[in-house]
Amino acid sequence: MNIEIALTVNGETVRETVEPRTSLADLLRDRLRLTGTHLGCEMGSCGACLVMLDGAPVHACLVLAVQADGQKVETIEGLNESGHVSDLQAQFHDRNALQCGFCTNGMVMSAQALLSDNPRPSRAEIRDALSGNYCRCTGYEAIVDAIAATADRRAGIGETVE
Amino acid sequence: MTAGNEHIGQAHRRGNALRHLAGRGRFVTDLALPRMLHAAFVRSPMARGRIAELDVSDAAAAPGVVRVFTAETLNKTCAPWTGTLEHFAGMKSAPQNILAEGAVLWAGHPVTMILAHSRAEAEDACELVLLDIEEEEAVVDGDAALLDGAAPASEGIDSNLCFRTVLETPGLDDAFASAAHVVEESFTFGRHTAVTLEPRAVIADFDPSTGQLTVHQGTQTPYQFQDVYARHFGLPESKVRVIAPDVGGSFGMKLHVYNEEMATVAASLTLGRPVRFVADRLESFVSDIHARDHRVTARMAVDAAGTILAMDVDDMTQIGAFSTYPRTSVAEGNQVIRLMGAPYRMPDYRGRLSVVFQNKVQTSQYRAVGHPIACAVTEALVDRAAEQLDLDPFEIRARNLVADDAYPHVSATGYQFEKLSHQTSLAKLRQLMDYDTLRSEQAELRRQGIYRGIGIAPFVEITNPGAAFYGVGGARISAQDGAVVRLTPGGDVQCAISVTEQGQGTETIIAQIVADQLGVTPDQVKVTTGDTDTTPSGGATWACRGAGIGGETALRAGRRLQAQILAIAGAVLQADPATLALAGGAVIDSGTGRERITLAEIGRIATYRPDTLPEGCDNSLSAVQHFAPTGYPFDFTNGIQASHVEVDIETGVTRLLKHWVVEDCGRIINPLLVDEQIRGGVVQGLGPAFFEECLYDDMGQMTNASLADYLVPMAGEMPDIEIAHVETPTLDTILGAKGVGEAGTAAAGAAAMNAVNDALRPLGARISQTPMTPLRILTALGHV
Amino acid sequence: MELEGSQTLAAAPDQVWAALFDRDVLAQAIPGCETLEQTSETSFSAMVKLKIGPVSARFKGDVELSDIDPGRSCTLSGKGSGGIAGFAKGAARVTLTPEGPQTVLDYTADVAVGGKLAALGNRLIKATAQKLTGEFFANFNTALTHEENAPAA
Repeated sequence: MNIEIALTVNGETVRETVEPRTSLADLLRDRLRLTGTHLGCEMGSCGACLVMLDGAPVHACLVLAVQADGQKVETIEGLNESGHVSDLQAQFHDRNALQCGFCTNGMVMSAQALLSDNPRPSRAEIRDALSGNYCRCTGYEAIVDAIAATADRRAGIGETVE
Repeated sequence: MTAGNEHIGQAHRRGNALRHLAGRGRFVTDLALPRMLHAAFVRSPMARGRIAELDVSDAAAAPGVVRVFTAETLNKTCAPWTGTLEHFAGMKSAPQNILAEGAVLWAGHPVTMILAHSRAEAEDACELVLLDIEEEEAVVDGDAALLDGAAPASEGIDSNLCFRTVLETPGLDDAFASAAHVVEESFTFGRHTAVTLEPRAVIADFDPSTGQLTVHQGTQTPYQFQDVYARHFGLPESKVRVIAPDVGGSFGMKLHVYNEEMATVAASLTLGRPVRFVADRLESFVSDIHARDHRVTARMAVDAAGTILAMDVDDMTQIGAFSTYPRTSVAEGNQVIRLMGAPYRMPDYRGRLSVVFQNKVQTSQYRAVGHPIACAVTEALVDRAAEQLDLDPFEIRARNLVADDAYPHVSATGYQFEKLSHQTSLAKLRQLMDYDTLRSEQAELRRQGIYRGIGIAPFVEITNPGAAFYGVGGARISAQDGAVVRLTPGGDVQCAISVTEQGQGTETIIAQIVADQLGVTPDQVKVTTGDTDTTPSGGATWACRGAGIGGETALRAGRRLQAQILAIAGAVLQADPATLALAGGAVIDSGTGRERITLAEIGRIATYRPDTLPEGCDNSLSAVQHFAPTGYPFDFTNGIQASHVEVDIETGVTRLLKHWVVEDCGRIINPLLVDEQIRGGVVQGLGPAFFEECLYDDMGQMTNASLADYLVPMAGEMPDIEIAHVETPTLDTILGAKGVGEAGTAAAGAAAMNAVNDALRPLGARISQTPMTPLRILTALGHV
Repeated sequence: MELEGSQTLAAAPDQVWAALFDRDVLAQAIPGCETLEQTSETSFSAMVKLKIGPVSARFKGDVELSDIDPGRSCTLSGKGSGGIAGFAKGAARVTLTPEGPQTVLDYTADVAVGGKLAALGNRLIKATAQKLTGEFFANFNTALTHEENAPAA
């Protein structure tokens, strides 16, 4: 019993026929080959699979593909091409706020969502906003620094990183 | 003609990080090959038992299923493997093969492999396998496993003792007899695991028409797996290619041989098509190696002046049903007993090690092998001695750390130290953390009922291992690394090297080193890693060797190519090569700095007009170099860490306020990346100190095998980490770099345990078990 | 893991008692029961298909009744192995007490699980076990009343 769905992914209309049990993550990764969305735990704990669903971050491993029918999905590939997170990306790069890169997609999603809701977060608020993003490599500090620096730059404080 | 140091020592950013930030990482989990099948495994639910019935007929007939393998149909393709090494005299372990044959030996032991068109279909079919196991009593506890009459944890072993060894200096008994004070304590270090965010992933692709096996594997050691697959499946080495693309975390966990990877290769060889296995998180918890799991009793003898005279240590470590292959599960315990007391002048020592089999997941090498245990035990006892003598923790360490001018020094356990900087590091830490202010603040807050603690822990780290590590024991694990550096016809530089990248920045530092030898910028050096077909063979990434050994290899390869380029330039320019140097992408006159000819022009002439060069002039534009350390068996690094915590004595919850590290990894190639290694390492040390533990029930069942139940350190709980450096280059190499991968993990837990006990001290409570969970802290306080 | 509970069943104790040993009633009551064979007067062998959280599997199990105090109490001990899902084993003491026309069935069980079932954490398992127990007794009650109302064959 497959279901036909239509959704917008990174601005492109996508029509797919999926099984009811297919997760949004599997649709994105296996069908659409948007492999920038990663799977780390498949139970909504690690944050590696975060994508924007109608502008809000969701765990693509917990959302079923059929639930995204008619909605707008944005993945790291789309955010990257849109240029909306280029300042975050530049700060992550400058501070080496990633090592293996497997968590990075989710970190960028959480950071972008945080800064939309709270443009001037404290370090504690940044750490709190990352409470669902697991990173085994960095020790988190550089990620917190990168997000804090992006917030500063967006508020017109400090220099932008090229 | 010496090369400059324009780029070595600079905080160059990682080019490959840009791909990840753009969502363009290339992990094995992202790869899809034509006709690829997906594997899922039926695993033993019992920790110990015998397969009474195994019926796979329904599974084989399930939709999408292409093949079902059992031990009977798969194991014969593979020569069994045994995780013993000769230099661990007397050690034993039963041979292993891919799928459980008759006996199941841990909960998670793979019994059946199902291959289907999708992982979902393979998993569906797993549910149709009828597996009936006659349960037998599992060996769960290491102490019970050693009792007379205990059932063996695996077949074909006569007892559960895998290995036992004792190190002892002749003066030990006298040292304890003459001591003014003896402090002692028993410690338990919980079992935890790597939890790399990308799980283990492998795609094996055998092409029967050419006999070529290509294995795409998320590993840190591709050459080791090339050798393993060639030998165990009877293939010529040249027909085995292992490619490790982007790897989502490794930390030692991804260099061991696992049943599932061997099964994936075996299945592809049998079916002649690509087979993919990616562990889900639950499978990771019950099949990735676990780490630590030690019970240690230890005592320390000190004289009236606080001089450490001796330590006497007994470590019992529990490793699962088999010793891992090919590195064994003994190396960790071996390092535990050899690293005890390592920073101190302590003359006498006894260390006893018992390595014990049990029916759990195997334990083996994980980041900072043995270091956190040795460091935590040593430093807890030093703090207790200080307490007895009413000495400040800094003071007792100042009295006992090996003096910076007393090298070379040999430890009581036989480790040879070339040159370390413990005393300088100690002084630097005190200043960095503003120790005296923290102590007065602590006293003030205690009056208000707030319990803060400060803990410090010096450490040594084993880096740059030579063949003494595994090679002498007969393991086919390379102690050398290799590099090929080339100048392209257009004047760019390429370096193919055996050390591998898992995000630590290997490619970046290699580019920096090569750039300095050839007078170019790092972005002009393209570095290739992680492919056995396109890079020279070498050890890759294990035990901290990327910068120290890989870097030296690249440096020497770069210098060889430099000499060749200068020789060509000398011929073209009719100049003595000794008067020439490389800088700014060109050959320059070393006296005046004037540009003589560009590298692009050298590339053009050597490639398109070799006829204009003199007879015999080497125009290969490439240099190959292999390097293995030949001086000290290891290059030790040192450092010291401090932890500042606040313990809520009502809830038992510890808040980590701040962490400091002073580290001496020798020559720093890239300070940005060094600090990142330290910070990440510290958090990997703090995780098991406070949160991480693989919990087992008394039947040998792991009861928290998901990321909802197994607690990993998250951003909100981790402190900011301030870092300072001392630089004592090794004189064993030109580069002078040592490793830094384990440093953070080595002492973070020790510093934290000392900090928690410092906080609890006024309440008369102590904790000596990790993780230091709220419940255990409340128990120590007598509140539960 | 310990489970305990109480169920009020719409039948007299002797009917409940008989049903506990009745293959047909048990087959209807056990959630996901595919086959149930009586292997002796006091033992059964079952094949059950269950879905517990994300894990679904066919369990092959044996149940044995012992410590029988006819009409009042007995111990059911069993072991079920579910391949990929793991296994469950345990024992339940069941006591019947009349309450008017009905019967109160009290049970205390000690259950151990292994494999995926254990790994996924006892919190999930306990909730599931309670749910399955609830289903069992609901089905059991239905089967009881159904039997009672059915015309004699």
